[in-house]
Amino acid sequence: MKRPFPNLHFHNGSRLLLLITLIWLIQPAPLLIVPGPTQTVHTSRPIVGVHTRLTDEVEEWKIQRSLEMVRQMGAPWIVELFPWAYYHAADGGIAWDHPDMVIEHAHAQGLQVIARIGLTPGWARPPDTPLNYLDATAYDDFAEFAARFAERYQGKLAAIIVGNEPNLSFEWGYREGTAVDYTNLLKTVYPAVKAANPDVLVLGGALAPTLEPAGSPWGLNDLEYLDQMYVAGAADYFDGLAVHTYGLTFPALAEPAPDILNFRRVELVREVMLRHNDADTQIYITEFGWNDHPRWTMAVRPGQRIQNTLDAFTYAEENWPYVEMIAIWAFRFPAPTKSYMDNFTLVTPEFVTKPIYTELQEFTGNE
Amino acid sequence: MSKFGSKLQVAGCKSPWLKDTCQLPHATCTPRRIGFGSLSNYAKSSLWFIAILGMMVWLTSCTTADDSWERVQAAGVLRVGLDPTYPPFEVDDGSGVYGLDVDLAQAIAADLGVDVQFVYFGYDGLYDALATEQVDVLISALVIMVERTRDFSYSEPYFNAGEILIVPADNSIIETMADLSGKTVAVELGSLGHVEATEWAKRVVDLAIVTFPTADEAITAVQQNDADAALVDAVNGRLYLRNHDDLKRLPESVTVEPFALVVRSEDEQLLDVLNQSLATLQQSGQLDQIEANWLGP
Repeated sequence: MKRPFPNLHFHNGSRLLLLITLIWLIQPAPLLIVPGPTQTVHTSRPIVGVHTRLTDEVEEWKIQRSLEMVRQMGAPWIVELFPWAYYHAADGGIAWDHPDMVIEHAHAQGLQVIARIGLTPGWARPPDTPLNYLDATAYDDFAEFAARFAERYQGKLAAIIVGNEPNLSFEWGYREGTAVDYTNLLKTVYPAVKAANPDVLVLGGALAPTLEPAGSPWGLNDLEYLDQMYVAGAADYFDGLAVHTYGLTFPALAEPAPDILNFRRVELVREVMLRHNDADTQIYITEFGWNDHPRWTMAVRPGQRIQNTLDAFTYAEENWPYVEMIAIWAFRFPAPTKSYMDNFTLVTPEFVTKPIYTELQEFTGNE
Repeated sequence: MSKFGSKLQVAGCKSPWLKDTCQLPHATCTPRRIGFGSLSNYAKSSLWFIAILGMMVWLTSCTTADDSWERVQAAGVLRVGLDPTYPPFEVDDGSGVYGLDVDLAQAIAADLGVDVQFVYFGYDGLYDALATEQVDVLISALVIMVERTRDFSYSEPYFNAGEILIVPADNSIIETMADLSGKTVAVELGSLGHVEATEWAKRVVDLAIVTFPTADEAITAVQQNDADAALVDAVNGRLYLRNHDDLKRLPESVTVEPFALVVRSEDEQLLDVLNQSLATLQQSGQLDQIEANWLGP
């Protein structure tokens, strides 16, 4: 039989190359994940939010799935950590890939994003200091990053929280971070962010609820610290106050008291604000919740956790007009923490919804 | 270098290349010249193959020095870490520590001929305490976690705390979750039993779930004919059954949540000894007796 192309010969190398090309052509295309058209959060409870934990989430589909489930639960707000240390190189270069991914997917799901910015890159802190060490020499760099962040996500970012729980020495890398220190940080960051994006809100505080007395190496009572922030002139340098409040073993409606840590401690925070003539500033509760771990002494039963959570939202809606949103810590972790922290979540790392998720979904009218 | 680095030095090994590839504290090598000159190429290749294969087998059978059990023996005491806030496994109410895990630790220590010393830690600090060698073993109702096995080793399980089905004592119809079609199961609101029942409801036709604030109330619903079965964790379920003989638990556990002893991953010798001791206690019936003492039959 006559060959159709008698002069066409393939050497072994060419055959191998051809084979590789064919294999490459027939391999499945990579998973295409796109944010998709912008969705709307359907909710009868616009106060409901969640603190997501997507910083450590590598796979894009999981980021998308998490945020989709937040929307389906009827929560219009997310709070998320965006660590300065992870993105910003000393030469000014910023790796935007991951924050872009989170912000774009959140925006596509119709969610309002409150970005908590913190953690200091190695080049901006002294050698042998921990990741959350921050001193005044790096305030300008921090402010520059916050401003660039705010500028980049115009129209997709509701607010920025400056730092986290500054009344704890841990959050300063175990240096003493006084209220004056933190106020100076706000004074540096606020004008920079506003110049870059006037629409984004700057939230101060996010103080840790604690009863630590003055002089403690660990921190300072949040009410006292807030008072000192006002005395230091912080009021003009935040648009809203971020507050953390945990119920621990108390019911949601338990009366607040200066020597007790419970959900309604927010009312004592508000009193401090009123004492300093700051009634117009809204509160954003960026962390709250109950825990139902069977081994943690500060935990409650799972059913109590559900009831307390629903009671808290209802109480806040009815009694706290000065509270804009309340975010549950935490929606989901990328992997088990292997501690009681796992029992703060609404969804498992495998995306299995816990009963509290279903109850909240019903609560927001999304059954 | 890690603090264990010195244990990984090669001692007594005269073959220089082995120093880089073999981490054998007790390895001894006796290099021997092998004359291949008179053999055919095929025979030479075969011999090389066999030699390399033999070397690989030898290398993979190597173990690092592990004197973890000898250390315990020398000290004469087994240091047990626990968080004494979890009845009925370990509690210290001011009168001393007691509970199932305490009895188990004492039985193991007696079997091994050493004393036992209990060291308290908060739940979240247990593994750190073990990693930093403050204790030899954790016996604190700890569930086997695959994610931890890089740094820690678990013994054979000594108790399954998973979800169990509780039904009326005269029940002969319900044997598994699959038999709950058209029936009602009671659970504690928000519990793992609730999550599990919700998953089963996707596959079992007409499985109704009723929730209660506590596991005890879910079980009571079965007694009062408000539910056909209760799905609760083994600890709460068995504690309830101790005083209610009109109910029984089904022998097959619906989920598995195995409690085990924990040691550092390099302490294989100690792990072997503890496993042998658990097996001895199992065979003698002592383990069952300890469990029955605290959780009922």
